[in-house]
Amino acid sequence: MKIRHLVWLRRCSQAFFLLLFLFLVVESRLPQDYYLDYTQLISGEKELRLEQPVTFFFQADPLVWITSLISGHVLIKGFGWSLAVLILTLVFGRVFCGFICPLGTLHHLVSYFRPALTGRRLIKANQKTNSRKIKYFILILLLVSALFGLNFSGILDPSAFFYRSLALAVLPGAGIGIKEIFDFLARTDIKVLNYLSYTAEVLVSPVFGYGYQAFKTGWLIGTIFLLILFLNRIRPRFWCRTLCPLGALLGIFSRFSILGLSKKTDLCTQCDRCKKVCAGAAGPIPGDAWQKSECLMCLNCHNTCPEDAVAFKLRSPFGGAGTDMGRRAVLGGLTAGVALPFFSRLDGQIHTVSSPNLIRPPGALPERVFLTLCQRCGLCMKACPTNVINPALTEGGLAGFWTPNLIMIQGYCEYTCTLCGSVCPTGAIADISARKKIEEPVRIGSAYFDRGRCLPWSGNGPCIVCEEHCPTSPKAIYFYEDTVRGPAGTRVKVKLPQVDLKKCVGCGICENKCIVKGRPAIRVIAAGESRSVRNQILL
Amino acid sequence: MNTEKQLTRRESIKKLLRIWSGLSLGGAAVLSLQRPRPSLAAGDAPKFLVDGVGRTEGYSVNALTRKIFEAVGGMGKFVSKGDVVAIKPNISWARAPHLAATTNPEVLEAVIELCQEAGAKKVRIVDHTIHWAKRCFALTGAGMVAKNTGADLVHPRSSLMRDMKLGGNRLDVWPVFKPVVEADTLINLPVAKVHGLSGLTLGMKNWIGAVGGRRNALHQDIHQTIVDLEHFFKPDIILIDATRVMIRNGPSGGSTADVAIMNRLILSNDPVAADARAARLFDKKPERIGFIQLGQKQGLGVYDTAISRHLEVAV
Repeated sequence: MKIRHLVWLRRCSQAFFLLLFLFLVVESRLPQDYYLDYTQLISGEKELRLEQPVTFFFQADPLVWITSLISGHVLIKGFGWSLAVLILTLVFGRVFCGFICPLGTLHHLVSYFRPALTGRRLIKANQKTNSRKIKYFILILLLVSALFGLNFSGILDPSAFFYRSLALAVLPGAGIGIKEIFDFLARTDIKVLNYLSYTAEVLVSPVFGYGYQAFKTGWLIGTIFLLILFLNRIRPRFWCRTLCPLGALLGIFSRFSILGLSKKTDLCTQCDRCKKVCAGAAGPIPGDAWQKSECLMCLNCHNTCPEDAVAFKLRSPFGGAGTDMGRRAVLGGLTAGVALPFFSRLDGQIHTVSSPNLIRPPGALPERVFLTLCQRCGLCMKACPTNVINPALTEGGLAGFWTPNLIMIQGYCEYTCTLCGSVCPTGAIADISARKKIEEPVRIGSAYFDRGRCLPWSGNGPCIVCEEHCPTSPKAIYFYEDTVRGPAGTRVKVKLPQVDLKKCVGCGICENKCIVKGRPAIRVIAAGESRSVRNQILL
Repeated sequence: MNTEKQLTRRESIKKLLRIWSGLSLGGAAVLSLQRPRPSLAAGDAPKFLVDGVGRTEGYSVNALTRKIFEAVGGMGKFVSKGDVVAIKPNISWARAPHLAATTNPEVLEAVIELCQEAGAKKVRIVDHTIHWAKRCFALTGAGMVAKNTGADLVHPRSSLMRDMKLGGNRLDVWPVFKPVVEADTLINLPVAKVHGLSGLTLGMKNWIGAVGGRRNALHQDIHQTIVDLEHFFKPDIILIDATRVMIRNGPSGGSTADVAIMNRLILSNDPVAADARAARLFDKKPERIGFIQLGQKQGLGVYDTAISRHLEVAV
């Protein structure tokens, strides 16, 4: 096979995996056809599950596997894929970065489709710089931090980063824009435009759904994503060279790969074409030392060289320059990695304080274990049908940044739904069955009344919308009839709702449907959640 | 672009703005008030009330549904050839059918078949669900019914909500789920169950699922708002599903312990009579149920006892 073909093979592979990634992001929601055989549902055994293996890229991500192993001491489902990636790296170098990584492909596209830099400036930008060591610093920081019980890797892991950016910022942002156009067209009263909008809305619903999605800090996630794409204008594949912890990990593993760049100095005319096209700033030109751990295996230099002075060949695993992490990066990473987990506990969330707003999805593991596994990827948030799961900003403290948090004024936890656990790539949210969730029951918090706001309690009239929606059987919200003082001292006969803490599971539909918006008259707090021994209310 | 002069970015933005303003002006010019659907079930049509009873073990719900319509002369009386039919079941809760929180899918399927046999051009299943619509459709069986029959299952969404003048005693202008009123024939297909505030959820209360907006606020004057909505929607026919009935923990239920098997269907063209009849299944006097009593008082219909044409069919 000629090198030209190999480069095309790389492009096809990149396109395939990028499209697969996008497809899996879009498919991370309930299947589009509503057509379930209801006669099967009578037994109650049939669970609603996603059809596609949406966690594939997390299973194939060695950083996810290793951090959950050293931090949470579990082998995640499907880790064989990451094992395969590691073996591939051991043999052929960072082919994952060049051939597979969807985020890398996006950076590749942005960098080379219409490059910001050309000519000498591009060659200069592709020089080896010390900033490449930053990624080793980040990697060591993440690994050490994970070892000490705080798995922060998802913040910068490319799979989690890309998934989160697409699912919580790019798609919902585009969706809101499109939805506003549809609603505008529907309001116009022009029949043609009405039909156009209805039809188009049905057509795009597999991707964008029918509602206005909202994600807390979505703007921040989107801004960071755009910023990181913008960095490609400073240096091609800036992220991959400078920031990516997975790239750093694979760089280390590529040390003894047998596919190497062999250079023939006598043939080289110093035309610098290889330097121009090098995606990894890995020193491809004869005369420079080839940086094995920086090479993204894009094969561009080999393909470009008019003199055949550089070529990828199988060779001894001991050739090439070793991984140059830099002492400062290593020491800095170690220090920061030890400090971060303990700094993050200074807010007391793990040992002393129970934050009322830190409501985790049903099946979430106890907070300490949860933080060793959660990748903050946003899969549960994307899959959640009611949009209740949001990336936390401050609710979980520093350690809980961007971890899933339920905001009941935005959605509620469907009583019979356990989708979030079924899609969690690391099992930070356990994959429980609907039967277990209901029968055990798995509580995520408990509801309490704010009597000053509640219509019946404050003498402002009948309501009990909360009681109506309460999904448990028997209901956790009950009422008794009594007279209360209404406006101007009148006596009003109303049904007064109350919460039975023994039955309440904290699903939050009462808070969500309460007529008092913003800060409802019935609210859910984390107290009473099953996953915490400390956070119980009843004896 | 192969025009002589290439369109610059600035120019294209200007052009877009011009098109946009034209569109919005055009939209404003033709804005007019939506007219409610002219009602076919006018007061002059003779009132009837039919009880359908499934007597045998394992009877066919489909056959019972067909028989109950035959008793009043068939679906052809209400659906003409080429009609668009909107059916409003109660599929508001994402609950499996045996939990009785939602309309029996077998009844829904039979009614759709009858409409199609009567020559309906299009049958739409319309409900503004409480739980997330997709899960409701999946779990209540409505999705499968739509697939089996080819009926349209309309996903409720903000672009289909429209402010309309209800002109009721309590509700004046309120957002309405448009496909409910944009039909030649409207069939109300509720399920009978208990409700904490209104006592029972029957036919008239089903219309709360046909409006949008702050509908949780309706509970503050539940009986009058139910009657206002019934006045506005005026279905052509009401078929109350009481094949299995939620007798406690309503309206959401969630356990088979809340369900009683009654094997009954109630068909009427009088909303008050239908609801009154269903109330008796719960051993409740219609005059003790606020919205039934109010409905009679405000001329929506009469109690079941006042209806001369009272039939019973059984399978």
